[in-house]
Amino acid sequence: MTGVRAAAARYAGARVPRVEDPRLLTGHGTYVDDVVRPGMLHACFVRSPLARARVLGVDAAEALALEGVHAVFTAADLNPDVREQWYTLIGRDVPDTPRPPLAEGEVRFVGDPVALVVAADRYVAEDAAELVAVDYEPLPPVVDYATAHESDELVHEGYPGNVAGTLGGPPLDELAPVFDGAALVVRETIRQQAYAQVPIETRGLVAEWSAPAGELTIWTATQSPHEVRLFCSRLLGLPEQRVRVVMRDTGGGFGQKVVPQREDMCVMLAARKVPGALKWIEDRRENLMSAGQARHEHADARLAFAADGTILAAAVDHVQDVGAYPVPWPVGTAAAVGMFFPGPYRVTRATWTSTSVFSNTVGRNAYRGPWQLESLAREVLLDVAARRMGLDPADLRRRNLLRRDELPYTNPNGMPYSDITPLETFERALEILGYEEFRKEQERARAEGRYLGVGTCTYVEPTTAAMALHATEGATIRIEPSGKVNVYVSGGSSGNSIETTVVQLTADALGVDIADVSTIQGDTAVTPFGGGAAGSRSGSMTAGAVGETAAVLRERITAIAAHRLEAAPGDVELTGGRARVRGVPGAEVSLAEIAELAYFRPDELPPGVPPGLEHSGRYRPATPVIFANATHVCTCEVDVVTGAVTLLRYVVGEDCGPMINPNVVEGQIAGGVVQGIGGALFEHLAYDGEGNPVATTFMDYLLPTAGDVPVIEYGHVETPAAGPGGYKGVGEGGAIGAPPAVVNAVADALAPFGAQITRLPLTPESIVALVRAADGTVPR
Amino acid sequence: MKPAAFDHHAPADVGEAVAMLADLGEDAKVLAGGQSLVPMLALRLAVPEHLVDLRRTAGLRGVAEHEPADGCEGVLRVGACTTQTAIGRSADAARAVPLLARATPLIGHFQIRNRGTVGGSLAHADAAAEYPSVALALGARMHARSPRGARTIPADRFFTGMWTTDLADDELLTAVDFPVWRGRRGFAIEEFARRGGDFAIAGAAVAVELAGDDRVRRCGIGLFGLGPTPLRAAAAEEAATGMAVADIAADEVGRAAVAGLDVVPADLHASADHRRHVGAVVTARAWRRAVREAAHA
Repeated sequence: MTGVRAAAARYAGARVPRVEDPRLLTGHGTYVDDVVRPGMLHACFVRSPLARARVLGVDAAEALALEGVHAVFTAADLNPDVREQWYTLIGRDVPDTPRPPLAEGEVRFVGDPVALVVAADRYVAEDAAELVAVDYEPLPPVVDYATAHESDELVHEGYPGNVAGTLGGPPLDELAPVFDGAALVVRETIRQQAYAQVPIETRGLVAEWSAPAGELTIWTATQSPHEVRLFCSRLLGLPEQRVRVVMRDTGGGFGQKVVPQREDMCVMLAARKVPGALKWIEDRRENLMSAGQARHEHADARLAFAADGTILAAAVDHVQDVGAYPVPWPVGTAAAVGMFFPGPYRVTRATWTSTSVFSNTVGRNAYRGPWQLESLAREVLLDVAARRMGLDPADLRRRNLLRRDELPYTNPNGMPYSDITPLETFERALEILGYEEFRKEQERARAEGRYLGVGTCTYVEPTTAAMALHATEGATIRIEPSGKVNVYVSGGSSGNSIETTVVQLTADALGVDIADVSTIQGDTAVTPFGGGAAGSRSGSMTAGAVGETAAVLRERITAIAAHRLEAAPGDVELTGGRARVRGVPGAEVSLAEIAELAYFRPDELPPGVPPGLEHSGRYRPATPVIFANATHVCTCEVDVVTGAVTLLRYVVGEDCGPMINPNVVEGQIAGGVVQGIGGALFEHLAYDGEGNPVATTFMDYLLPTAGDVPVIEYGHVETPAAGPGGYKGVGEGGAIGAPPAVVNAVADALAPFGAQITRLPLTPESIVALVRAADGTVPR
Repeated sequence: MKPAAFDHHAPADVGEAVAMLADLGEDAKVLAGGQSLVPMLALRLAVPEHLVDLRRTAGLRGVAEHEPADGCEGVLRVGACTTQTAIGRSADAARAVPLLARATPLIGHFQIRNRGTVGGSLAHADAAAEYPSVALALGARMHARSPRGARTIPADRFFTGMWTTDLADDELLTAVDFPVWRGRRGFAIEEFARRGGDFAIAGAAVAVELAGDDRVRRCGIGLFGLGPTPLRAAAAEEAATGMAVADIAADEVGRAAVAGLDVVPADLHASADHRRHVGAVVTARAWRRAVREAAHA
């Protein structure tokens, strides 16, 4: 490609309006429930009302007698049809946890699907579901994961102590001399409640079997249509090319829609047994009861310090609740909690363990920054340590944050950080906030009996991990005969603006107007294979795929134009939809003319240039992971009488490399921050002692609203990574940084009471309890 | 979350509505905005066979001040199907019954207030809702109609149990009279909720009238979120009435208001103890604000 110049970036870096918005903001998005097929039938699950019980029998006679009911499937009808059941994301060979489509013999959480009713509409399906008689023999449930290892009861046979798996670093004993000899060791157990992804579009799919063609078509809400296709093809034993998966607008996934779950399996299996397309739309109660939980875990975390505040060692013992049916295999993912516990700090010695424990509650699944507890535990501990040392928490961090001149830096668990800027984002965020001024304001407020606080979180996160399903990404670019452009990528757009991103990058790569580029995504029949939206990978991977593909087309366009204009290819530049000879005004040819030559007058092409202007390319990153980093700073006021927390300001200093579109970057951060604020203050997927979920509507599952979150302010530091464009991932970080920043802000506000926070969520009642415990009085 | 099948009825006037209710009996529910009933239908927590929808029923809307008859105080009469938004926008309500106007923005979110009605709120009688406690604090009177005729029910006798009222199955709440307090009066409503727009963990609506000598001539304290029904803090009111306002400690009013509470709800969002604690706090805060306003009136 020597002599071919990349077009100057015109759109990358600009606040380009999202191409998705006209349809989404006018109510014209296409979600699964908008898909209507002729003769379509509707599914509703019969779900267990008990946390654990033996299923003695299922009697569907009364339900089947109801007008409009087509079928009631039980485990005996569907489960034997499973051919292979594993996720490309994780691989075939991991010791995966059990995952039957319908509950077989035993129900293991409230909401466990027992039978599938198929009816003419959802109303009748729900009527019929009430009529399916399931004979349960209640069994004692294992509700509390933290004591599950001591229970005589087992969630799954074959997992003694209810342990799904354990991973770990070197023995803690090896670090004993460091901890024993340290000037200060802080050790706390940090506990986090279960909360969930809560996409506004719940799960759902339509599966339509064509018996004559032997083809199954699935419309679904997913982050990865190609994973759904592969999974389904293996599940049913259908050749991959006979399964087509289509998604258009997915109303949020946040990890919940990374892979198909048990209900999806049921609908796929049932699709071949019913006379029409089968639609299942999860309702909100089901979503909050059965779609999965995350974050339910604790960490016994410790940090050792020298007298001057230097961190000497870090160790964490992590235990997570994986519920009854985790999706996907949770054990490997949990390792990241240990690996990243040292964070973006200079830490020479570390170790970790991570244990995954079953319980009779909803299964754990992926959630934006699944390893987020590493930041919560570390950052809370750092504030505790600073208070004990009489240091400002900011100063303690400054002493330990990695500096640019120390990079690349391999953390003690082997994570090879490069191109990160922890100290820079830290200072940037504190500068935007006006940290020193805030400390003065805080002092004045305390004198008036008002309690303000400030908290920070600085983290480094792995993005764009290029393994297995995520190892490569493809793009097909078709410059059509008119010179207009279509770019095809796998998609999996679930609110991450990947359509806008792809259009921006393609317009730049080909030097055309953005209005002349459209993108087609989410249909496995026409898009190249790709891993979908997960792991903060879409920006960098798509940039790579578009870059590889566009480079070939650019070379071809340049060759044709040079031939046509009788110029050297090296003198041709592509801008404004035209190929121009630099320095020769008027020597230019439009892309439309070039396309006409390429398609309709191939005889006039230069020798060796193939006809047509379409190409498929596939990108494989040179590095296995790209690190991104950020600092979140939050301020709050706490009403110590009622326990109310009011967030005052929220600043994010972040480095996701050069920004393709600042609006998109900030939108991603904001979304994650709000979820993290929810986790710190509001959201709780709670169970009672019998294993009954108690937050199954939005009356009880409290999402933060616009009134509960401050305006989020951003400070961008743009340090290129090694990958295409220098771009890094930015999808998950907001959800990682927010809980620690909020917790530390509240703890700082309560510092005069000597209160220490080790348990989430920070309900008003828990805050009043902290204040009371600290000073023994009841504030009013 | 699809309701079970029901028959929908849309009576044209109150007479037709109460005739329907009498005819359908306990299998019917009245739909008056639907902001509580429709979610309950969707969750199949309520499975009525008939819904009597008042949306097109004439004569149930409007806010109007009625001049006092001899020896009585004036009232603001609010039609049962007047939406919360309409009340919130009513200049008459803001002037004549400030407590009602001030309670309105605390009800849910604007989308809810656009459909939710005062009659629906009172007849649903959620113990954590705002309007019932306002009705109690001010001593409102409910107008009810049945095929047997009309009657009025004082707020004190209206809320009989959890989500239950004194209304018979065939009786329709048609309007509410909120007394217009005059003179040196002050009003405040305070609530504490996890998020803006949520049902309160605890709340208090306070109305105070001061005599010329700065003694409390009368007061009303309505509590919400603190029991199985909307409550009136009668003992606290009694203790304050007749006292010089300077001698009343607001915190003491708060304590007295929650002192007698025996059945305080507990759930994921707050224990009974926390509700009691917050109940005392919000009552004290509302008392302070109401008294300040009355003193400057």
